[in-house]
Amino acid sequence: MLLAIDTATAQVGVAVGVDGAVVGRVELARGQRHAEALAPAIEYLLQATGVRLDQLAGIAVGIGPGLFTGLRVGVTTARVMAQVLRIPIVGVASLDLVAYPLRHTSRLLVAALDARRKEVFWSAYRTVPGGLQRLGDYAVGTPAELVAELEAHGAEVLLAGDGALRYREAFEAVDRVELAGPEFAMPSAGALIELACARFEREEFSRPTEILPLYLRRSDAEIEWERKPA
Amino acid sequence: MVTDARRVPELVLGIETSCDETAAAVVADGREIYSSIVSSQVDLHARFGGVVPEIASRAHLELINVVVAEALVEAGCDFADLHAVAACHGPGLAGALLVGVSAAKAVALCRSIPYVGVNHLEAHLQAAWLDEPDLAPPLAVLIASGGHTMIVIVEARGSYRVVGQTVDDAAGEAFDKVARFLGLGYPGGPAVDAVATEGDPRAVRFPRPMAGDGYDFSFSGLKTAVVQYVRAHPEAAVADVAASFQEAVVDVLSTKLLAAARDAGARTLVLGGGVAANRSLRSRVTDLAAADDRRAYLPGPALCTDNAAMIAATGWYRLHADGPTPLNDGATPGLRLPVVG
Ligand SMILES: [Zn+2]
Repeated sequence: MLLAIDTATAQVGVAVGVDGAVVGRVELARGQRHAEALAPAIEYLLQATGVRLDQLAGIAVGIGPGLFTGLRVGVTTARVMAQVLRIPIVGVASLDLVAYPLRHTSRLLVAALDARRKEVFWSAYRTVPGGLQRLGDYAVGTPAELVAELEAHGAEVLLAGDGALRYREAFEAVDRVELAGPEFAMPSAGALIELACARFEREEFSRPTEILPLYLRRSDAEIEWERKPA
Repeated sequence: MVTDARRVPELVLGIETSCDETAAAVVADGREIYSSIVSSQVDLHARFGGVVPEIASRAHLELINVVVAEALVEAGCDFADLHAVAACHGPGLAGALLVGVSAAKAVALCRSIPYVGVNHLEAHLQAAWLDEPDLAPPLAVLIASGGHTMIVIVEARGSYRVVGQTVDDAAGEAFDKVARFLGLGYPGGPAVDAVATEGDPRAVRFPRPMAGDGYDFSFSGLKTAVVQYVRAHPEAAVADVAASFQEAVVDVLSTKLLAAARDAGARTLVLGGGVAANRSLRSRVTDLAAADDRRAYLPGPALCTDNAAMIAATGWYRLHADGPTPLNDGATPGLRLPVVG
């Protein structure tokens, strides 16, 4: 039995599952106050599904890229739960969790999450037998930069995520780009169960201290510091 | 008091991540420190000359598991032995607080034990009892650090009255800014303290801001006075300037603390916070108290600076006074001290 946690966006998502199948999940779409919502959500989910903590064989956590505040809550919670329960942990990119539920498309799949400060995090995927293959690195940039990249691709694109919806006018203006609906806007806790389960089966797990958020951006202070003349 | 030899002590794990120290501690029955681990991030922030919130939050996340594990190992216990878990939930840096609060709730959830959110300022006040269980209120306490500067009258354990606080910079911030200006490095408190021993504290008569003005403090004007003096006297010895600046800060802090104690009828003066480690402040408060037939109680530097033992002890006290904190309680960066009247 696995416990999955993703708090990389405004959503608080938790799920429990076994053998890649979801037993239960809680997704709070407006859970911006992650520190308040996460622990009670886990408590409720375990109670409602009747899953006991001693049945958990591993923890899966979405590691972003995403909003720093939420990520800190989810990743800390996952790391410490794994430590206390002495079980392994798996980190999965939250962009992958946006793309995965749309894997049956024949188009190029692009996940874009809102990064605030007028930027988006994004990643592109293509469908391969049994899942998705990511093309290139996780990226951060302005919607205009993503638009330029989509135009350069020239392929039919399915674009998903709350970052895509937030700047929908910019993306809808691009030829051959279609936006996935709001039901695909956030990382899926169910997808996290499925993806993590496969990783656990291949024993590709980590120790709690090895799991860190994918920040992509350095802190403002460091950026400012390097701009300063010596 | 009849003690039951078979009674198992109540172990509380405390976690502190409000600023730039990642700390965890195990304290028994709110009194006995089994372990207290503090991992300082000073080196990470040194080049910026102050604490950078985003860097602090990232470092807390990287360190939290190891610091907690070390606290348990040193205490010779395991998660299963804990009676409760406490974390500082404010005041402090938002992102930094969330790491400690989330970690503590994860422990509480996995072990089905109570979680207690602890006020950082109350923890500084309660730290005195860890060293001195017989400390009898009322106490006049000065909490001075990089984040806060206030005088609190502790009427009884758990009952506080804030009588004065800074209207601008905290005392520790003033030390950081002046040390940076004088090229003495970061953190400023220890840097100024060290170089001041070689200088003449009477070399420059810096202003004593708000000296006659109740128990509130102001330090930004003092910093400006130091800057102006050095610009006007570029030949002045840095040690003399540092010593004279420190003298002004110590003068204001100690004089106001004594006056507040007299006013409240407090027989004991107590220091807390990082600035309480300043040697000049410690000896001045000791002297002033003795000359006025009062007692000075100065916890060791390890209990004055941010630590998790004070969080665990306060958590135990609050658990017995008010019960556990619900798991849907988050962190409050601007949390105030719970006061009476
Ligand atoms: Zn403090």
